Amino acid sequence: MAGQHRGFFHVLSRGLYFVILVGGAVVMLIPFVWTVSTSLKPLSLSLAFPPVWWPHPFEWGNFSAVFQEVPLAHWFLNSTIVAGAVTVGNLILDSLAGYALARIDFKGRTFLYIGTLAMMMVPFQAVMLPVYLLLRQLGLLNTYWGMILPTLVSSMGIFLMRQAFLNLPQELDDAATMDGCGRLRMFWQISLPQVTPTMLTLALITFVGSWNNFLLPLLVANLPHLWTLQLGIVEFQSQYATQWPLLMACSVLITIPVAVLFLIFQRWFVRGIVMSGIK
Amino acid sequence: MKMEADFASADKGRGLGPRPLRQKMSRMRLNDLFAGYAFSLPSVIVLFVFTLGPALAAFYLSFFSWSLLNHMHFVGLSNFWGLLHYSVFWIAVRNSVIFACVVVPVQTAIALALAVMLNQNLPARGFFRLAFYFPSISSSAVITLIFMWMFNQLGLFNSFLSWLGLPQPDWLGSPHFALPTIMIMNIWTTSGAFMIIFLAGLQGIPMNLIEAAAVDGATSWKTFRNVTLPLLRTTMFFVVVMGVIGTLQMFDQSFIMSGGTGGPLHSTTTVVLLIYNFIFNYGNVGYGAAATVLWFIFIMGATLATNKWLGQSVEY
Repeated sequence: MAGQHRGFFHVLSRGLYFVILVGGAVVMLIPFVWTVSTSLKPLSLSLAFPPVWWPHPFEWGNFSAVFQEVPLAHWFLNSTIVAGAVTVGNLILDSLAGYALARIDFKGRTFLYIGTLAMMMVPFQAVMLPVYLLLRQLGLLNTYWGMILPTLVSSMGIFLMRQAFLNLPQELDDAATMDGCGRLRMFWQISLPQVTPTMLTLALITFVGSWNNFLLPLLVANLPHLWTLQLGIVEFQSQYATQWPLLMACSVLITIPVAVLFLIFQRWFVRGIVMSGIK
Repeated sequence: MKMEADFASADKGRGLGPRPLRQKMSRMRLNDLFAGYAFSLPSVIVLFVFTLGPALAAFYLSFFSWSLLNHMHFVGLSNFWGLLHYSVFWIAVRNSVIFACVVVPVQTAIALALAVMLNQNLPARGFFRLAFYFPSISSSAVITLIFMWMFNQLGLFNSFLSWLGLPQPDWLGSPHFALPTIMIMNIWTTSGAFMIIFLAGLQGIPMNLIEAAAVDGATSWKTFRNVTLPLLRTTMFFVVVMGVIGTLQMFDQSFIMSGGTGGPLHSTTTVVLLIYNFIFNYGNVGYGAAATVLWFIFIMGATLATNKWLGQSVEY
């Protein structure tokens, strides 16, 4: 009897959870659905009351109009250059440093490791003023380098790579040393291939973080030809504040690359967030 | 942290072998010293130039008066003094603190609740995880624009409120509702990412502890309150600290929504937005640096307080 009771409540609570989760998913997805829906409407229909969810016919013209109104392709190029360079830089430099901190035994290693951990506590916002002044001094304002260099290395990335290298067995290293293998070759040919999942995770987090970065391009790029997508769309909004279908079409276009990466590599994104959460 | 392991491995390979081997060993140690620095130095330099150096420079600059155009001159502590008597600074501090105090508890609770529910063996878990997590990989610029569209006076959200027969405030234009709009947006954006962290934490809890509690006749709420929650302490600590740091640094959303002004009536001016405006609009680098220093100390303090509250690890 008690068991039956338990079973009943169990089923009830599971059903309740499911309903709440469906409600939550609806709340999470409505803004995106509304964005896509708006992007396919003529301006007049976008302001209709009650709201129209399924425009008929679709106003595909909004998407081509965006390309005529703003240099979207050029912003796309800028975002790709910056995010691509930042990703490559982080992959190389974070993995080299992470390898040294995990597998090479040298004097000063612990000091460097603790220093790297401490850098994780300094968010970019806390140093944006001096970084801006430094870039200004170096003549890097309004350059790609100005948007790339400050995020070329991430202490979180070094930490992730270090954790991955720590888990590799020592025997392979020892065998390679016996065979007279140098450190760089050992890193490149033996250790690196074993941590490719972490490299992929790091690449994804870094690329998306850089692609979505707003503050750094805002500080560095005053000239329109250097604007990234995020900077460009905000500028677009301030000029065409009422053109919501065009703005939403633009939002859809600049989110597509990240959404595609996310759908393909969902597991790795999740892994990344979990790994950065476990210390 | 695996510090002990590092120290242990640092002593490996120091055994005294026959002489040729010892020579080989010391050559290897020299090679390792070289390789260790060659591998880590590029990163160390970039971190030094763009993180540590600027953090120290902020302290230095806070003692000077400088508009970027004139010559710097030393003014001692007067930037701090001036800042503490500048009413907008306190408005910004109040906004940032209120923002953190509302957003962190709410997003943590939502993330935890979602994670606990998703940890059950329910259908379509993968879909839910995808749906909840997706907002946190979208850019702050796009999400802010979407919310400006949904929350404007004639927008979707007010249509919904009017359908319910509720009053429809001017979310973005009213000083009472602009900051709450950003709060809603932030909670909506970040809850999913923290849910994933909680989910990982939940999966690390040994099942037999939960089962033991159930066998002892504990209700599911009691099990959650007395077994699950204490075991999630480390995860909770991480989520709260990340939440506190993230919310106290809020900038993009305020900047975009108010067009950089922090309006209406300073109601969305956060400390970071004020620092930005000190440099770019008020031409007052010293005040910006002083605010940076004070805010950095405040965030450190908040982090340490969280550590005191939630930091102790749990043995099981």
